[in-house]
Amino acid sequence: MSSIHPDQYVSDRLAGRGAAAAGYAPPDPGDGSLIEDPAVRAPLVLNNRSFGEVTEIICGYAEKAPGKWWMPLFAIAGLAAATGTLMIAYLIITGVGVWGLTNQVDWAWDITNFVFWIGIGHAGTLISAILCLFKQKWRTAVNRSAEAMTIFAVICAGMFPAIHVGRIWFIWMVFPLPNSNSIWPNFRSPLLWDVFAVSTYFTVSLLFWFMGLIPDMASLRDRAHKRMLASKRRAEKPRLGDVIRAYVFGMLSMGWRFSSRHWHRYEVAYLILAGLSTPLVLSVHSIVSFDFATSVLPGWHTTIFPPYFVAGAIFGGFAMVLLLLIPAREVFPNFRDFLTLRHIENMAKILLVTGMMVGFAYSMEFFIAWYSGNEYELSVFLNNRANPAKAPYWWAYWTMISCNVISPQVFWFRKLRTNPLVVWIVALAVTIGMWFERFVIIVTSLHRAFLPAEWHMFHPTPVDVLTFVGSCGIFLTLFLLFVRFLPVFAMAEIKAVLPQAHRHDHDDDHHDDHHGEAH
Amino acid sequence: MPGLFPKWTNALPTVTAAMAMGGAVTAVAGVWYYFTPKYWEAGYMPQQPGSGFNHQIHAGKLGIDCRYCHTKVEQSPEANVPNVATCMGCHTENRLSTEFVKDEKVQFIRDAYATDESIEWRRVHKLPDYVRNFPHHVHIHAGVSCYSCHGQIMGMPEVFQAEPLSMGWCLDCHRDPGKHLVEPDQVTRLREVEQELTARRHHEGTMDVDALVEALRTAPPETCGACHH
Repeated sequence: MSSIHPDQYVSDRLAGRGAAAAGYAPPDPGDGSLIEDPAVRAPLVLNNRSFGEVTEIICGYAEKAPGKWWMPLFAIAGLAAATGTLMIAYLIITGVGVWGLTNQVDWAWDITNFVFWIGIGHAGTLISAILCLFKQKWRTAVNRSAEAMTIFAVICAGMFPAIHVGRIWFIWMVFPLPNSNSIWPNFRSPLLWDVFAVSTYFTVSLLFWFMGLIPDMASLRDRAHKRMLASKRRAEKPRLGDVIRAYVFGMLSMGWRFSSRHWHRYEVAYLILAGLSTPLVLSVHSIVSFDFATSVLPGWHTTIFPPYFVAGAIFGGFAMVLLLLIPAREVFPNFRDFLTLRHIENMAKILLVTGMMVGFAYSMEFFIAWYSGNEYELSVFLNNRANPAKAPYWWAYWTMISCNVISPQVFWFRKLRTNPLVVWIVALAVTIGMWFERFVIIVTSLHRAFLPAEWHMFHPTPVDVLTFVGSCGIFLTLFLLFVRFLPVFAMAEIKAVLPQAHRHDHDDDHHDDHHGEAH
Repeated sequence: MPGLFPKWTNALPTVTAAMAMGGAVTAVAGVWYYFTPKYWEAGYMPQQPGSGFNHQIHAGKLGIDCRYCHTKVEQSPEANVPNVATCMGCHTENRLSTEFVKDEKVQFIRDAYATDESIEWRRVHKLPDYVRNFPHHVHIHAGVSCYSCHGQIMGMPEVFQAEPLSMGWCLDCHRDPGKHLVEPDQVTRLREVEQELTARRHHEGTMDVDALVEALRTAPPETCGACHH
């Protein structure tokens, strides 16, 4: 390891002077952060882990009891989830009047939460689909947990449109089922497209996640089975946890035996699912944006919505990945070997890029409102959102701008984007900002529509608040169960990016591209 | 290492998949067949008070026109049930020969008349309360026969619901009224209407369907507000 600054090293090497010219010794910062020399790649796994160590560490998270932090956190999350469930039961029994909705603001926290959660899922799909097709190997550190977040977020998201219909026992009517009323859902309505988009998204994401889990669950099965047999040889009763693990993972791993043929089919299926998911990254949130864009309401009726929503979804999704995985680095032993500073830095850069994309969209909305000459639209942006003197919701708008546009700008500085605490704080700000973005879009456009006589403020009730808190609780409960019982990293994929998997490693510039040649 | 699962479990995925498919098909078929007004409502035949009212005798055998009792059907949305006085028009004591009428069978009418009480006839054809009153007069004048919704009343000793009265069933006619329209002055002649409509199904009808639809002038509405509040 060299103390020379990476930039210095590169310029030395290019100029043919200093230590760099003599021997090829890339200055490895040791924490996995990116190396400036484009000829050298930062390691994806630190501390020279062997295949066996990778299995031991990752299976260990799912097999051994986690630290003391888990149970209190799980209790809090579970309590929040239970409260949310009670609120939903109360809503169903009483009616949607328990929310603060009025004739004027008939969509508020419910749809805000829906769009918020559905956006959170997009990082997982982007990582597992698009980054897979572009062969971005750093995705192996986050794909499993990000995909899990996708599933959990879509569960939270799907809840809100279902309960906001009021008479939930008629929810089957959203599906085009033949019925004795001879009526169909309105196929020209984006609300129906939403049903298809979200259910397709959930199905494909679940399949993708589950298929990726199969080999890893087979590892957990075999390890539990081995421990069972060892206890039997010692004439002891096997531990109940091992028996449950062996049988449950045995069923879920669907007879996986690690044969070459299994792997071959696995890789083909993985590629097919990646291909199927790729359009979903773009389509799902585009269609969610149509819920607004196809209406005639100023503030909603905007052609920029689909790309703006997709960028915002990826932005919010990566913020959530960072929000949950940076603390995981602290509490799980050896977690940092797999989720290195390089990964955090990469995701911080994505936050910076997508943050500027949404910032561009925010400014473009103003430009178009002015350029179109539509005074109602301009009024929405100036008088309902941005101007503190006139807009009652100015604080929501400026919270959104500070969290989403200003806060990620700190990532221009390498020191700050490689500081996990700073990245975590920005991720938290972005998560808050993205919730406010949806609130701003929905409520500030609705609360002052065309007729001033109908103008009303929206006041959330405790049921509104607790239902949102409940959805966070459900998300966190599911995520805590996931890190406790399932492998949080895709072990097989991590092993494939270890240097040992490629025999001609460090001296070869293109070692990532030609595996198989050396065998 | 001995296997975790016994060998027979290899069949489980196939069996589970087959059972899931079978279950899904059964569920869909079951809902399709049973969860319909066609199954639950058609054939509804409530017990009427007294000895009931035999439509087969009155309307069929004796040929009393529907409008003799359901007097307001041409002017009102409601095809009213007659009051006791209408019954008493014929069934006053010793008015009809005992050859036709057994006194004990109509005694409940005379009792009601004597005590000035209504007979609580039970409604057979019901619509959900989110549907407006079915406008009988509009349909009658448009040329929809009683037969099209109530079936062959002239052959029913006790009236039952002959048709499902589901929304889809209403819409079938509203979307293609030609199958059911007759000349408006023929609507209560249920036997002739039955013959005509049956023949029409085999393209042997004698009425000019196009002229009937043409005479209807406006197409039957399909908007929600046409039937719902």
